[in-house]
Amino acid sequence: MHDGLLAAMRRSILDGDPDRSAALAREAIERGLPPLDAVRHGFVPGLDEVGEGFAKGDLFLPDLVMAGEAMKAATAVLEPELQKTGARREILGRIVLGTVRGDIHEIGKTLVSTMLAAAGFEVHDVGVDVPAETFADRAREVGADIVGLSALLTTTMTAQRDVVRALDRDGLRPRVKVIVGGAPVTRAWAEEIGADGYGEDAVAAVSLARSLVGR
Amino acid sequence: MRTHHSPARRHGETVDRVSGRIVTAGVAPPYSRLAPEQCAALSEASLEILERTGVRLLAPEAVELLARGGAAISEGNRARIPRRLVERALETAPRRVVLHDRSGRPALPLEGARTYFGPGSDCPRIVDHRTGERRAARLADVRDAARLCDALPNIDFVMSLFIPSDAPPALADRLQFEAMVGNTTKPIVFVTYEMSGCADVVAMAEAVAGGADALRERPFVACYINVTSGLVHNTDALEKLLFLAGKGLPALYVPVVSGGTSGPMTMAGGLALSNAGALAGLVISQLKREGAPFVLPGFGGDALDMRTMVDPYCAPEPRGMAESLGHRYGLPLFTLGGGSESKVVDGQASVEAGLTMLLGALSGGHLFHDLGYLESGLTGSLAQLAVCNEIAGWIASATAPVEITPETLALDLIDAAGPEGSFLKLPHTRRHMRERWYPTLFDRDNHAGWLAKGGRSLSDRAAEQVSAILERHRPEPLPAEAAAAVRAIVARAAGDIPAALETEASRA
Ligand code: B12
Repeated sequence: MHDGLLAAMRRSILDGDPDRSAALAREAIERGLPPLDAVRHGFVPGLDEVGEGFAKGDLFLPDLVMAGEAMKAATAVLEPELQKTGARREILGRIVLGTVRGDIHEIGKTLVSTMLAAAGFEVHDVGVDVPAETFADRAREVGADIVGLSALLTTTMTAQRDVVRALDRDGLRPRVKVIVGGAPVTRAWAEEIGADGYGEDAVAAVSLARSLVGR
Repeated sequence: MRTHHSPARRHGETVDRVSGRIVTAGVAPPYSRLAPEQCAALSEASLEILERTGVRLLAPEAVELLARGGAAISEGNRARIPRRLVERALETAPRRVVLHDRSGRPALPLEGARTYFGPGSDCPRIVDHRTGERRAARLADVRDAARLCDALPNIDFVMSLFIPSDAPPALADRLQFEAMVGNTTKPIVFVTYEMSGCADVVAMAEAVAGGADALRERPFVACYINVTSGLVHNTDALEKLLFLAGKGLPALYVPVVSGGTSGPMTMAGGLALSNAGALAGLVISQLKREGAPFVLPGFGGDALDMRTMVDPYCAPEPRGMAESLGHRYGLPLFTLGGGSESKVVDGQASVEAGLTMLLGALSGGHLFHDLGYLESGLTGSLAQLAVCNEIAGWIASATAPVEITPETLALDLIDAAGPEGSFLKLPHTRRHMRERWYPTLFDRDNHAGWLAKGGRSLSDRAAEQVSAILERHRPEPLPAEAAAAVRAIVARAAGDIPAALETEASRA
């Protein structure tokens, strides 16, 4: 019955078109398509397809990012309806993310931040050259589930450990999980400093964050 | 390694008809990616960015200098720079910088069409030529790399190919410089994290050169400064720039724009943006001290690889653009290539290094760095550096001026030999045979000969060449007094930096 609409929803995600996906979400409500069906059978298949295309190398990072934006626009429209039916689609989790003290590399950090937000996390990007205490303070303020730390220099990797310690000292762990990344960072280093996870790129960062919040 | 006769003159040199001396100034590179109108359009675009958008400067002294110079300041540290400041700076900056060797002899005149090759810097990892293993780099690797560069005839300057994992992080830059200056007499391009490291390294260089004036007059070091982006200039970068300008020492000032993330995806916009940043640096250096030596970046217009999210070092698209623009300004350039995204010393690594080096040489790349890089600057390889030395020798020969004289035309010999004559026994043949380029790594054996020597690949032969050089080559030692002065500065820094005591060996 709604096949055409669902196909258009999928298309709007593939096209990375937030205006169109939001319009289609409104149309779904008007036409009485259950919001959860719209998400599951309309928009999510588009997202999956983009993910597969990226993994194969047919689609590029901006395709992925814009698909995420289109998804966000659609869910923003559907959210109130979902709440009415009790099937509330919550955010996946809250993440405080930044590049550690002494380090100004921001490109990778910003990519990770964009991808996490696109995947449905509430991301608090605290920028670059961020002191350990700032990470701990922000994590407490926003009730973070995860703190993400980027370091691109062998000399600033040690500052990741400082943040782990600051979170420990403030009694925020183990509730708040710590994930680390950046070119010189390794899984072994993550283990050594007692972090909860390591991701080699922005895609890995998303699956890591999902697994840590159990989603 | 056998050294072979190299051509008398190199590409980018002409002989002055009156004095008979080799000159390097004013020689145009044989290749320009951009047409003059395109350079003009890009330069205009950069000037518009500086005037219209402005640049954020995270160091108060830089803001003050620009304010006094006539820039409009808003938000406390955002400077909109009028074009006349840029035009003036382009007039006062020296059009030629000569890097010297450790003993103060002129070595590398950065001007005209010349291209000098050197390694990259600060790879956290090494592919060990002895074992093929990829492991965290150590201070001993920094020493080996410097010693190898010292020996390789086509490597013209030295950088610390590795960042040592067995050095206290806060001291790594000082230890890298000590390791280099003790193992090579060639000019050194150094990198430090913070301003304090830069001051220490300059103090070491002054001690070696025999004082601040000696170093200024005959600089054997230059500092490579990375800047956050075209329009954000971080504190450390600006402090280093101001410090070096104040001292009259060469700064290589490089704002990095990553297309699609920190700048436009299109090459023109990306280069206009990074060039705007470089020009802002130039203005600041000249406001600090008119005539301070400043080296422009000869790369830009790059983009993030949108499939892998890796920042590639050898992408083909922007090659030559920044060199064209730089030659229009007529200032010395610091260019990039000779590395590879490959993880091992293989065909890809050779091709990426070779093509980028050749284009660099044809474009007049002046100081051309990043030889020996693998894995987009995250891993370094001494064997790959040896391959690059071979490539550099090939390029020098392929681009050397061709001599056409009675001696080289040899018409009398041709006539004397007649149609069926042989040239094998002629003295002329022996006289000139070593002018040809002979490889030290590339294989020219016949098949049986190749098999007899083990039937090995280029990467194996390169690894063996590295081992042989490291076994044998002893660089001219640093005079004991200078070495002691350098050590004293490292020791003082170790005292100043409490964290230095907490060593972080074998982390990566
Ligand atoms: C671009 C760049 C810069 C730019 C940064 C611009 C900016 N605004 O961000 C500039 C020019 C400013 C710069 C400066 C310096 N740099 Co730099 N830089 C690079 C370069 C070439 C690429 C980094 C990059 O952006 N990659 C692309 C992004 C997308 O990848 P990424 O950052 O690795 O992030 C991905 C993953 O790591 C992961 N990830 C990242 N963060 C996180 C966080 C979490 C939680 C997770 C799960 C995952 C994750 O996901 C990301 C996306 O897939 C690297 C070399 C390299 N190949 O990495 C050198 C490199 C990192 N830099 C290096 C150096 C030495 C410096 C300087 C010290 C040089 C100097 N003195 O001027 C300064 C440092 C200044 C400072 N205090 O920080 C060295 C590091 C050596 C070391 N000690 O370890 C490198 C390796 C290059 C080299 N061989 O010299 N640099």
